[in-house]
Amino acid sequence: MYRLLIKMAWKNSFSRLSRTLLLITMIAVSMSMMIGIQGLYDGMANNMLDKNKRSASGDISIFAKEYRVQKDIKYRIKNAELIKKDLEGMAGVKAVVLRVKADGLGATARKSSFASLYGIDLDAEEKFGRFGEFLKEGAISFDNRGALIGLELAKTLKLHVGSKLIFSTQDINGDINSLSLRVNAIVQTTNIPLDSDAIFVDRKKVQRFLGVKDGEVTQIAIMGEEESLENSLKDKYPEYDVKSFLELQPMMQMMQDMMFIFNSITFFIVMSVVFVGILGVMYVSILDRIREFGIMLGIGMHYKYIRLQIFLEAIFVSLSGYISGAVLGAILLVYLRDYGIDLSAFSDALEMWGYESVIHGTIKLSYFTTTFTAIITASILSIVIPLRKIQKINPIDVIKAEK
Amino acid sequence: MFHFALKNILFYKGRSFTTFILTFISTMLFIVYVSMMDGSHDSMLKNSLKVYGSAIEIYHKNYRELGGNEYLIKDVKTIENKLANIEGVQLFSSRYETYGLLSFKEYSTASMIVGIDPQKEAELSELKNALTSGEYLKNDGQNCIYIGKGVASKLKVKVSDEISFIGGASDNSFAADIFRVCGVFKTGLFEFDASAAFVSKEYFDTLMLSQNKASYITVKVDDLNEVDRINGEIIQALNDENLESLTWRTLMKTMVEAMEVDSIFGYVSLALFLTVIFFVIMIYGFINVSSRIKEFGILRCIGLSKMRIFSLLFYEIFILSSLAIVMATPIAGYICHYYSMNPIIIEGIAEMYKDYGIVSDELPFSFNLFTISWNVLVVLVLNILSIVYPFMYVYSFGPIEASKHV
Repeated sequence: MYRLLIKMAWKNSFSRLSRTLLLITMIAVSMSMMIGIQGLYDGMANNMLDKNKRSASGDISIFAKEYRVQKDIKYRIKNAELIKKDLEGMAGVKAVVLRVKADGLGATARKSSFASLYGIDLDAEEKFGRFGEFLKEGAISFDNRGALIGLELAKTLKLHVGSKLIFSTQDINGDINSLSLRVNAIVQTTNIPLDSDAIFVDRKKVQRFLGVKDGEVTQIAIMGEEESLENSLKDKYPEYDVKSFLELQPMMQMMQDMMFIFNSITFFIVMSVVFVGILGVMYVSILDRIREFGIMLGIGMHYKYIRLQIFLEAIFVSLSGYISGAVLGAILLVYLRDYGIDLSAFSDALEMWGYESVIHGTIKLSYFTTTFTAIITASILSIVIPLRKIQKINPIDVIKAEK
Repeated sequence: MFHFALKNILFYKGRSFTTFILTFISTMLFIVYVSMMDGSHDSMLKNSLKVYGSAIEIYHKNYRELGGNEYLIKDVKTIENKLANIEGVQLFSSRYETYGLLSFKEYSTASMIVGIDPQKEAELSELKNALTSGEYLKNDGQNCIYIGKGVASKLKVKVSDEISFIGGASDNSFAADIFRVCGVFKTGLFEFDASAAFVSKEYFDTLMLSQNKASYITVKVDDLNEVDRINGEIIQALNDENLESLTWRTLMKTMVEAMEVDSIFGYVSLALFLTVIFFVIMIYGFINVSSRIKEFGILRCIGLSKMRIFSLLFYEIFILSSLAIVMATPIAGYICHYYSMNPIIIEGIAEMYKDYGIVSDELPFSFNLFTISWNVLVVLVLNILSIVYPFMYVYSFGPIEASKHV
């Protein structure tokens, strides 16, 4: 019986081929477009989030109390090397870096601009956040008074690889000091403050320049594996300011939330319209065959078998649409992930906003599972009204009625 | 055909209702979404222009690209005399911009220090209105400095404190002076407030040896829509190949580009909604047409041409779409107009997105009749396109075959 029902449902699903194909196309196109857009937007947000973590705060950062408010080198962590060693021995800690930062003035012979000097350890940064991947131009090296410059700062000061640059700021004693540097590389971290202000120089050199001791830094950034790490560190270092990535970058959290809300609204609207489409096709498909169902009821077929047949028809059509959409969407997502969308024509604007000029998408299994649930739900809901109509019919009247 | 189409619309209520509702929703969505997108972009541009931007700026060539004292404008008075005679130029003023270190006690910060004409600048920008404490600059040639809130907090200074300045003068010599903080401002432009400081140009010129010199001349126009014409006249009047006069579109190119990118993503999202709605309208049209094959066959048999059948389908979709559009447009238009006058306020958005140049929590809509018109036209065209496939389906049947269709 069930085999017969499946056979009938399959044949009926495609008996009006043009109509069914139109519906499958609608589901496939809307679904592939929707997951393509979701993948692209998530890709943009994830890329920004990932690079912000890798280039700046990591999962957790430790500062001296008051440093984040005062931004003054006076408020620094004095036993940083010891803390680093301690952290590296902790479970759940993947990588730790020490940084020293000072704000000042970057100047060339012709231009000046605000700049921030970051003292970093290249090897540690590579391990921490694959710093080498941020390279835009030149070579990642601090040789020959070398410095690495943020992309936007390079644009502002009209710097190229090989250009000379003077950085001036106040040292620990309050004296104005200057440091002569040569641009070895231009980097793009897609972290807006870093790209627009940062001059990366060897940490030890910056410490000497500012007059701070070897083990003294302004930030300890930690890349962790466990969510509980933040609380453990807060308990362990109450004398310091321990902040998670999202506490330091609340905009990222808001961006993620807004992306989620936007994707959810888009999803809801699109699925509602898809539901209307499926409903129309299923309703007409059933009305077209109302005599057929009348006869089936008339010869004694139980209503539950008719319900099952219609249910299977809806599932077959929507599954066909879903599979086509999933294949199309997967192709689109793979393309977006591997090749991305080249928006080089707007590179200035994108770079200013912390995006790369080629935007890559991301692929998540949830795109396919949520869409699957939504389409199957929409198709099941779409047969509720037609089924009620069948339930109410009088088989004799329907059989007698003229087509 | 028109009456025939009208009767069909009333007869096939299900299809008519669905098409009407979907067209209504897509029209509303399209108009309101585009209005919100355009409104927020306009607002960002206007805020940036209003605070410290200019409709037109005149530079010595290479100043923007290379910078340096050799590319300063060297004869400001002659240029200003020429500008005074150009119709549409409301106001102009010269600015001398330099970067230097400001220090107070043990605190120092890098700052952009600008010599301005305080009186003219009060009308050209929002600087005067942005005052939070102390007083705005006066044209009295005093050593007053008007600093951003961020600069004040970095230096930990308050009104009346004295701060030292070290920088380079226009002849490349060292320049140093003591300024008294007269006032503190906050424009909302995060980076600007954290880095800018202003001094009366009259005083600054004596320190920087920049009399009759300027980094650029800023020009305010009567009507921003006339900016290209006025700029053309300025270029003609200046008649100097060493000078360049640029409108806000060039000066704020990056921001204009950023708006374009944002619009592209906005339209991609809209395209998704419109595509799905287009398909559903087409499916309903197709279902309707396929149930009327016999009717079309008979009509063809009694002598109606294919063109007339197309007209019939066209009238049906046109009437339904027009009706939905006529009802949706005033409602959507009203929403756009209302929110253009009374912007939506999202508390904290400016603070959150300060890195992106957002200075206000307000999210105004744009009310532009031309934009609304093309939005409506797109919906109408899409609806009309939705009958192409159903018509081709009908077209594939011969008259006799169609009249026998079951």
